[in-house]
Amino acid sequence: MKKRFKGALLVLVVLISIIVILTGCTGAAGSQATDNTKSTGFEKLQEIGYVTVGFDDTFVPMGFKNENGEIVGFDIDLAKEVFKRIGIEVKFQPIDWSMKETELNTGNIDLIWNGYTITDERKEKVAFTKPYLENRQIIITLADSDINSKANLKGKTVAAQNGSSSLDAINSEPELAATFKDGAPVLFDTNNEALMDLEAKRTDAVVADEILARYYIAERGQEKYKVLDQDFGKEEYGIGIRKEDTELLEKVNKALDEMRSDGTFAKISEQWFGANIEK
Amino acid sequence: MLNYLLSLLPSMFEGLTLTLKVFTLTMMLSLPMGIFVALGRLSKIKVISRCVKIYIWIMRGTPLILQLVFIFFGLPLVGITFDRFQAALIAFTLNYAAYFGEIFRAGIQSIELGQYEAAKVLGFGPIKAFTRIVLPQVLKRVLPPVSNEVITLIKDTSLVYVVGLGELLRSGKIASNRDASLVPLIVVAFFYLMLTAILTKALKLCEDKYSYYH
Repeated sequence: MKKRFKGALLVLVVLISIIVILTGCTGAAGSQATDNTKSTGFEKLQEIGYVTVGFDDTFVPMGFKNENGEIVGFDIDLAKEVFKRIGIEVKFQPIDWSMKETELNTGNIDLIWNGYTITDERKEKVAFTKPYLENRQIIITLADSDINSKANLKGKTVAAQNGSSSLDAINSEPELAATFKDGAPVLFDTNNEALMDLEAKRTDAVVADEILARYYIAERGQEKYKVLDQDFGKEEYGIGIRKEDTELLEKVNKALDEMRSDGTFAKISEQWFGANIEK
Repeated sequence: MLNYLLSLLPSMFEGLTLTLKVFTLTMMLSLPMGIFVALGRLSKIKVISRCVKIYIWIMRGTPLILQLVFIFFGLPLVGITFDRFQAALIAFTLNYAAYFGEIFRAGIQSIELGQYEAAKVLGFGPIKAFTRIVLPQVLKRVLPPVSNEVITLIKDTSLVYVVGLGELLRSGKIASNRDASLVPLIVVAFFYLMLTAILTKALKLCEDKYSYYH
């Protein structure tokens, strides 16, 4: 009789111990996450000892992983400098871009800092710093394309990144979007995929953030592409912070202002874009 | 070209480590849990079997990615907070235990009733009859469908990117975006194929080992 229970008991003990070990290993991180959830003020962040910046690690050249697995990018350098000046440690947490506002509001991250375009919809959910970069929504075609203006897009296949501000920009001109082939743009997971589709000639034009698109065009070969003079409007990049974290917002704004006036901002900008494109 | 491939490897191995971690721990937790799910589903106590049925329905009836999002982002709203890895592991274990449970149920039901009777005649109690006579045969019979799920699991681990974990496919996507190239994704495919080849071989060895009556 006893033996039967021993077997079942053993399985149970093993199971429980695995769970205990697992939660034990990660318990520290778990409790920090809980602290973060409750934090509203800057003192809370100081108590924890660091702030967490959420970024999409596929988002070149703003924040991504290099060959050695190090997190690098324009926004990363900017954030490191800002928090050096504020005097608090900064950690970078890769996130799924479509989950960014949820990550912020559940307290898993403290800032969204990754080419985050300021839009009215987003302003309802998060607080933005002053804009720090200006960006255009440019239209890219293959070099030999006969598309030369927005009007030429009629009946053509137009692609953009899903959930991006490029898509918002297209949708802000619904009459024009309705003239596209199938009456709407084709959506891809990343801009890289949209450009690949352009090269495969299934797509006639891609609408994308100028800053990102310039990087890809440079990577994939300048001579292959054409950028139209017309665009889908200008927009600004800002840093997203929880609405209740007003003190953190002020400190970031102040640090960015200082970096603009003492030339640090220009230096980081030149390093990543070859020119100072500060806003 | 070779240099480029080599430069991809460190970050790929980092992703691979996480993929394997999710995979092994999910297997270790969900397989034993699957047996309990099967027993619960077959339980003569109505409340238990009803509850397990609902659990299986939810786990099989919603996309795994949704369960991940719900456990990581949804539960904190009611005060239950897991870190990224814990949330991923819980979602995967709960999901896969439901599938394994149904496989084990099929296995258990495939054992002839006569064997229970024979065991009873020989003086085996119900627990001993199950663990000593039924379960070993069940494990043998369910190996092929379990292998299927195991191979599906290795590919499903790519879903954990949604909670911000950097697994194998993610590291490929990062490199693909950084270098504007499809090559990293080919490397990723190669890694998955290798993993599947190893698993297929291991599972085949298991099957051979247990087919001692054939």
